[in-house]
Amino acid sequence: MAAPPLIRGTDLSKVYGTLTALNNTNFTLMPSEVRALIGANGAGKSTLIKILTGAIAPTSGTVEISGTPVALGDPRAMIRNGLACIYQHANLAPDLSVLDNIFLGRQPTSRFGLVNTKAQRSEAQALMARHGIEVDVDVPVGNLPTVKQKEVEILKALALNARIILMDEPTAWLSASEVTKLHETVRALKSTGVGIVYISHVLDEIFAVCDTLTILRDGKVVAETDVAKINRPSVVELMVGEKLARDSAQASSKNRHPRGTGEIGLSVRNLTKHGVYRDISFDLYAGEILCITGLIGSKRTELLQTLFGTVKSDSGTVSVTGAPAVFRKPSHAMARGIGLVPEDRHRDGLMLGMTVTENLALATLAKFLHGLFLSSKGMAEAARASIADLSIRPPDGRHEVGLLSGGNQQKVLVGKWLNLAPKVLILDEPTVGVDVGAKAEIYGILRRERERGKAILVVSSDLEEVLTIADRIAVMVSGSLVALHDAGAIGSKELVREIGGIAA
Amino acid sequence: MNADTASRASNVERIKANALPLAILVIMAIFSLTEPAFLTPGNLVGIARQVALIGIMAVCTTFVIMTGGIDLSVGPVLAIAGLVAYFALQADLPLVMVIFAGLFAGALVGFVNGAIIALLQLPPIIVTLATLSITRGAALILGGPEQHLIRDEPAYSFIGAGNFLGLPSSIWIFAVVAAAMIMVQRATPLGVLVAAIGNNERAAYLSGHSTWATKVLVYTISGTGAALAGIIQSSQVHTALATYGPFGTELDVIAAVVLGGTSIMGGNGSIARTVLGVFFLGVISNGMNILNVPIDVQLIAKGTIIALALALASRRQ
Repeated sequence: MAAPPLIRGTDLSKVYGTLTALNNTNFTLMPSEVRALIGANGAGKSTLIKILTGAIAPTSGTVEISGTPVALGDPRAMIRNGLACIYQHANLAPDLSVLDNIFLGRQPTSRFGLVNTKAQRSEAQALMARHGIEVDVDVPVGNLPTVKQKEVEILKALALNARIILMDEPTAWLSASEVTKLHETVRALKSTGVGIVYISHVLDEIFAVCDTLTILRDGKVVAETDVAKINRPSVVELMVGEKLARDSAQASSKNRHPRGTGEIGLSVRNLTKHGVYRDISFDLYAGEILCITGLIGSKRTELLQTLFGTVKSDSGTVSVTGAPAVFRKPSHAMARGIGLVPEDRHRDGLMLGMTVTENLALATLAKFLHGLFLSSKGMAEAARASIADLSIRPPDGRHEVGLLSGGNQQKVLVGKWLNLAPKVLILDEPTVGVDVGAKAEIYGILRRERERGKAILVVSSDLEEVLTIADRIAVMVSGSLVALHDAGAIGSKELVREIGGIAA
Repeated sequence: MNADTASRASNVERIKANALPLAILVIMAIFSLTEPAFLTPGNLVGIARQVALIGIMAVCTTFVIMTGGIDLSVGPVLAIAGLVAYFALQADLPLVMVIFAGLFAGALVGFVNGAIIALLQLPPIIVTLATLSITRGAALILGGPEQHLIRDEPAYSFIGAGNFLGLPSSIWIFAVVAAAMIMVQRATPLGVLVAAIGNNERAAYLSGHSTWATKVLVYTISGTGAALAGIIQSSQVHTALATYGPFGTELDVIAAVVLGGTSIMGGNGSIARTVLGVFFLGVISNGMNILNVPIDVQLIAKGTIIALALALASRRQ
């Protein structure tokens, strides 16, 4: 081998407190190589990527780029060394033109410090010609389809002389034909010597576009191989690991309540929103936890928003405890006994500057009303009860929610909705950004509420979570519900295949 | 660690809660040492009387600012309410109806502000800038350029110029409005909702609240407060005039609210502390008047003090 690897990461470890996110990992990428990086949630993928992009410094280990050791934990040094990362969500200024976006922050200037548009234009044209990309550079980026925006991001990276491009779930927001287009771009990049790290959950894509494959599990590399030398079942097995397969088998044998009490809490029939989700039908029973799982971009959140009255469906029906329901806003859904714990607790859920007591009462202020006035005593009492019930720490309702840990914030958010005493409780990714201890507590709360007869609908991308708490599991792929299983009747491997849209 | 951050936060809270009253006392001490006339009962009542109008408006517009909004239209609302009251008096309406008519004019402007801002989701600064202009124009059409004298209306004159238990009635009105608004903030759902919208409007909506109705209500309250100030002023000076509440009125009102610690970005705020902000500004201008500081220097000093106070407040955060 003449050329040194573009990246060589050696013995990389990252320890957070008692948690080892990444454990003595080696990682290499050669010029003109497309390497897939895969693993379940929490396997250490994001940690490795953050180390490579310089967002965090590893606890130990070294990274060489083209044979030269580089400073770690310094994003700008990584960019100077020719590494760029393209994230799931576009990182562009939507109102600026493609040209301005490509050169944002470092426009070539003429004398007098004016932007040299001509130089920009010719540089952009040259890049596009060399890498087989075609975009109208004068259009505002926001007007372009998502796949073209990805190409703009790639151009932006190339204009910075990037030789290494990390793509984090690049196809999460793309349609099937757009995915094909993006893969053509990837191949064109490869032919010019660029190395690409391709991070994805979708096995089809990995087999279509990648040369090599690194599988992470529990912070360790469990496989490193040519894509040609491995088949899908082995990939799935390596991703999931024997442990989860065993755990889920154990969990399934005890204490599952598919269809709960047999009483229907929420019934959805043929629910369709054009271009988003289609023909969704399922029944959610009182006394069960139904998990909907799927990839990011499979439109699960949009479905929940319809069930809670913030997004209108085009056709189909929803009924609650047997009676038809049409919700035009959240208060309608709440009046019918539906509560929604949103995915993004900071954006959609909590008032970070307000107290725990106020946050807990916010969905149920009417309960504390005496004539025109709010009973602050009543609110404080209810808060004390919730704090004890949910073990919120510190156990003081006067604290600002913003000062609590992520897990306790999440408990406050769940408590706010439990105070509504809903018949149907919907939770979107209920344990994102929550530590292991709080996760277990939240699962305990959900199981207890199930025993109390609530119908619980959970959307989660975390397979381990789904296999841990679900009584039944539904799989959503690109806006369709493709399967609905009793949790005991399906293993993690089959589930991974279904989620990836691969026929069993 | 959590307990630590919490206790540090509560220390910061304590300093923040007491900084403004302390600053007022320090400034009063400085003024009274340099000029004995400052610390006389007559002058102190004078300060309260001078701040009553701005105070009523500031107290009534605090909710607007807490929701992340702003109301620039208070000056012309003050003027048009005085004119409406004047014409109602001319029409020999009973006093209650006169007051109601004046307040209604202000409530209407506030309602329109709130409705446009909430339903069309336009930026409050632009919407109230437009109604500022429209309301001033409407006041000029209604009243023309001339002064309208309010003569031989003892009951109406009592509103602004009367005395009750030895204090001017305008001070009493300010006190009652402030007490009522403090109670609304502390003990009604509106107080919680306003803070919730300012903190996270989306989450408030997703908690089942009608955020647009709340917004319409807070702008209506703001407009009504400005109209009340307009009625009091026309009663004090026995005149209604279309150019009352000149440019700068709204800035004094906003300055008082922000000095009281309400975030201009919305979120947390306190009506009780707005009252302190009002007195802080009132004491400064009264003291400088007594010390014969020229008006140009006064303006510069006032602006500097506002900027310094805000810089200190944000540093402490």
